[in-house]
Formats: sequence, C-alpha cells, structure tokens
Amino acid sequence: MKLDLDYAVFAGTDPIYEIADEVFTAMIDGEQGLLSLWEGEVPPFARQMHAWVDVHGAISGRVLLSTEQATAEHLTRALLGMTPDEPVADGDIVDALGEVANVVGGNVKALVPDPGALSLPQVTHERPPTDPESLLYELALCWRGQLLVITLWSLA
Amino acid sequence: MRVLVADDSRVMRQIVIRTLRQAGYDWWEITEAPDGAAALDMVVADEPDLVLSDWNMPEMTGIDLLRAMRANGIDIPFGFVTSEGSNEMREIADEEGALFLIAKPFTAEVFRDTIDPFLA
Repeated sequence: MKLDLDYAVFAGTDPIYEIADEVFTAMIDGEQGLLSLWEGEVPPFARQMHAWVDVHGAISGRVLLSTEQATAEHLTRALLGMTPDEPVADGDIVDALGEVANVVGGNVKALVPDPGALSLPQVTHERPPTDPESLLYELALCWRGQLLVITLWSLA
Repeated sequence: MRVLVADDSRVMRQIVIRTLRQAGYDWWEITEAPDGAAALDMVVADEPDLVLSDWNMPEMTGIDLLRAMRANGIDIPFGFVTSEGSNEMREIADEEGALFLIAKPFTAEVFRDTIDPFLA
C-alpha cells in the first residue's frame, strides 16, 4: 500500500522528518539542529516505550513513535523545562511522549486527503501489535545522540 | 485578564502557559482544565475573559465545548490550540465562532501574532 501524502509541500525533502524537526525545534529544544537522521545500523531497544495515535476514516492508519525509556525521560525534562537531575513522574513521561506522538500524528494527518478522526494518544512499554506487511514508512532519528523511530502503519 | 487553558495533557498545558509567558502575556491570570466538560463547568463558574482549548479531549471535545458555550449564551472569546490545523478544522472552528486556531507545534511569535490583534 502506498502512503498517499502531499510530498509537493515539502519540495523533495522527507515530509515526516520535516514535521518531526518542526515539533522538536518549536516544542522541545527551542532551537534547530538537534534532530537528525539516524546514521548507520539501528540498534534494538532495551527498555522501550511506544506512543501512537490512530486516524480512523476512509484511510485508517497509525503514527507510532518508539524510543528508549531513558530518552522518553529526557524528552519529558526538555518539554517541561526541568533540570537534568530533577526526578520525573511516570505519569508525566507517558503524558509527554503521548503528546509528541499526538502533535506529529496531527501534522501527518493534515497531509492525508480526506482524513478521519484522530484518536487520543496511547502509550505503552510493549510494542503495539502490528502486521509487518502494513508498515508504510519508517524513519529513524537521532535526537541529542538518542534513537527515536517514527513508523506509519495502515490499519484494516 | 483571566484565561482558561483546556487540554487533557498536563505537559501540554504547561507548554502553552510557558509559551504565553514568553509571548509577553505574563500578566495573565491562568487557570487550567483537563477536558472540555471540566472547562465548561469552570467557564460557567468563573466567567474567564478568554478560553484557549485543545480540540481532541476526552469527556467533551473542544468544538463541543465551544458549541455548548454558545448554546448557553456564553460569548466569551474562544481560541483553539490543537495538533490539527487542517483547512476543514479551521473552517469548522470559524463557523462555530472561534477567534483563531493555533496549530501545534507553535512558537511564542505565533501566539503573539495570532492573539495580539484580538487584545486591542
């Protein structure tokens, strides 16, 4: 299945990277250049966390953000403007990672013609069950040296 | 100026409030609501000067909050701050009487440029 996005908007650049870069620059880092494409082999996650939103409609799909728990904690501190040694509540990590997935998902949805409704974000430690054949797109990113993977899935 | 920020994400409410401060609205007195239903109760009880609301929330969505306010004769200025900024959603927001729709991710400049014209 082809991912039917309006690539013209992005003038030949990667649309999902452009969205992620804008989200990280505006919401998380306050400056550009801290998010890049992951170079080399993508290592497996050790203590993983996943956050996703679904779009239900004529075209149903899922935007899934996967990372290490430690990276999710780092992201939460950055989002809340906390110091590196400040303890982070589990609820805030779930909330923060879900919001990043929500904002990325909302912007991806805007690229799809006639999209349906966006679900509320869900966050788990286990990867949500997905059919490998329904994978539409995968993008590995490096944020401050840490791995983040964005995948897009078609849903039956 | 008393402003109600409605978003089901506590983290996002903090980011919205921080961005409002960065945009120069540090004199605003801000209260928070975790969903549309709670926001409606607070609007009725406290009558804020402005409501800034997410769209997609449990219990009651932002657009249903706006519709409920207007159906009850509450004309408090209302703006969306939401992860979806499609033309279709902007049209619906406009039709229902929202002043503006700010799409996430946002910057302090976007807040200032969007909100300032309505403060004059």
